[in-house]
Amino acid sequence: MELFTPDFGLIFWMFVSFAILFFVLWKWGWPAIMKGVSDRADLIDKGVEYAQNAKQQLDHAREEADKYIADARRQQADMLREADKMKTQIIEEARSAAQTEAKKVMDAAKVSIEQERKQAEQQFRNEVSSFALDIAQKVVRNQMKDEKAQEQLVSSLLDEMEKQN
Amino acid sequence: MMKRNILAAIAMAFVALLLPLAGRASGHEADSQEKSGAVDAQGIIFEHLGDRYGWEVPFNHHKSIPLPVIVWGSDGLHVFSSARVDHGKEYRDGSALFRIAGKDSPYKGKVVEIIDGKEVKPAVDISITKNVCGVFIAVLLVIWSILSVARWHRNQGLKAPRKMTGAIEFVILFIYDGVIKPTLKNKANKFAPYLLTVFFFILVMNLLGLIVIFPGGANLTGNIAVTLVLAIITFLITNIFATKHYWKEIFNPDVPWWLKWPLPIMPIIEIFGVFTKPAALTVRLFANMMGGHMIVIVLTLLIFIFAAMGPVVTGATAVVSIIFSVFMLLIDVLVSFIQAYVFTMLSTLFIALGQEEGHHEDHKKEEDPHAHGLPASTGIEPHA
Repeated sequence: MELFTPDFGLIFWMFVSFAILFFVLWKWGWPAIMKGVSDRADLIDKGVEYAQNAKQQLDHAREEADKYIADARRQQADMLREADKMKTQIIEEARSAAQTEAKKVMDAAKVSIEQERKQAEQQFRNEVSSFALDIAQKVVRNQMKDEKAQEQLVSSLLDEMEKQN
Repeated sequence: MMKRNILAAIAMAFVALLLPLAGRASGHEADSQEKSGAVDAQGIIFEHLGDRYGWEVPFNHHKSIPLPVIVWGSDGLHVFSSARVDHGKEYRDGSALFRIAGKDSPYKGKVVEIIDGKEVKPAVDISITKNVCGVFIAVLLVIWSILSVARWHRNQGLKAPRKMTGAIEFVILFIYDGVIKPTLKNKANKFAPYLLTVFFFILVMNLLGLIVIFPGGANLTGNIAVTLVLAIITFLITNIFATKHYWKEIFNPDVPWWLKWPLPIMPIIEIFGVFTKPAALTVRLFANMMGGHMIVIVLTLLIFIFAAMGPVVTGATAVVSIIFSVFMLLIDVLVSFIQAYVFTMLSTLFIALGQEEGHHEDHKKEEDPHAHGLPASTGIEPHA
């Protein structure tokens, strides 16, 4: 059968063709493709790794930012609380200072009022005594117009002095 | 469901109709063949499967694309166009007379030199026949497609490949990562150029064979010479690059001594095996591709065989034949790929057998993962 007998011409050309085909592809085809493919695979691997790292870093950064924000909040709250405390303390201090001051002023006022009162009292007394003396002088002058009454008075006064001694 | 029943009914009706007719047809054809020019099925089939000088064109039996005939005749080299010896014409080139041998000659279909009225086969016939020309076309196509991918890689290799480049690259990687790398492991890069070349060459030849008109239509991989050459190259590569261990396994295999002495049964079987491998490669590809072509041709020929039965039968046969041959051609597209794949896979396997180093370490390494109770093939193993 013709189909099963290989033809020499075809075998010859087949060898030649395949040799040329193989040489061309071996020289210019496969190495370039294989290198290109592996380079690209490397690039993709690198890209994936980079993306993973970036994501990790981003997650990390977000966590850190959250932490910072929480910290800031806490600090803010602390500061507010402290300020509040300070405020009440200052108010308290001011109040007590004012009280002592007021007390001092009042004490001073009391002392001066007392002094004034005493002075006034003294003055009043002096005036009263001078009035009384004047009045008594006038009364005595009226009563001692006649000699008899004068004598009587002196004698009574002398009596009184005698009694007292 | 309904549709399928109707189809089945039609098919059965056809079979019932055709069976008795077929019986009559063969008898009828046999005696009317000579006088009415009825179809010579066998002749047509072998003509289409075989090789020829010149490439036929569609719708014309008298003209064909002429190809150079190169023969070494009794008085030296002769190169002339195949058109000169077409249709049984005789051609005188210098002192030598050539013609294509007729049906009854032992050199049927070949160019012969006529010396003293006798047909003599030329010493060397390296004509660019239809198949040789087909091989050239396949070589150019493969070179063009692979070099275009290579050029693309050189110019902009770090981008994503698209369209044709992407498709070719996908097939390259499918073969490299799916067949070559897992089988040859660290020696993959040494043999990958050959195996990939073989794959694409066979694939392109297979597909070209399915195209009916000019750039295709040559039954390349269905020709035993083509597959033989490819198998011989694989055979040479396997044995030239083979390790000492491979040869030791052939001449002194690891079997009980009485299988080797006094009668060397195992070595003989092993040596036999060395040569059956390329033989198997040759015949597998050749028979598969030729079978596909033959079925399509036979299905088409059925129309002409039944043409004598009248218009109804011819029409019915035509419909069925065309449906079946389209179906077969579609299957052949798949088969083209599968056969190229199988040839590459077997070549890889044979080469890998020749690359085996010491038996024991290899086995230990391979069986290590199974020892831990891992499933044998998870399918997602990283390509190591």
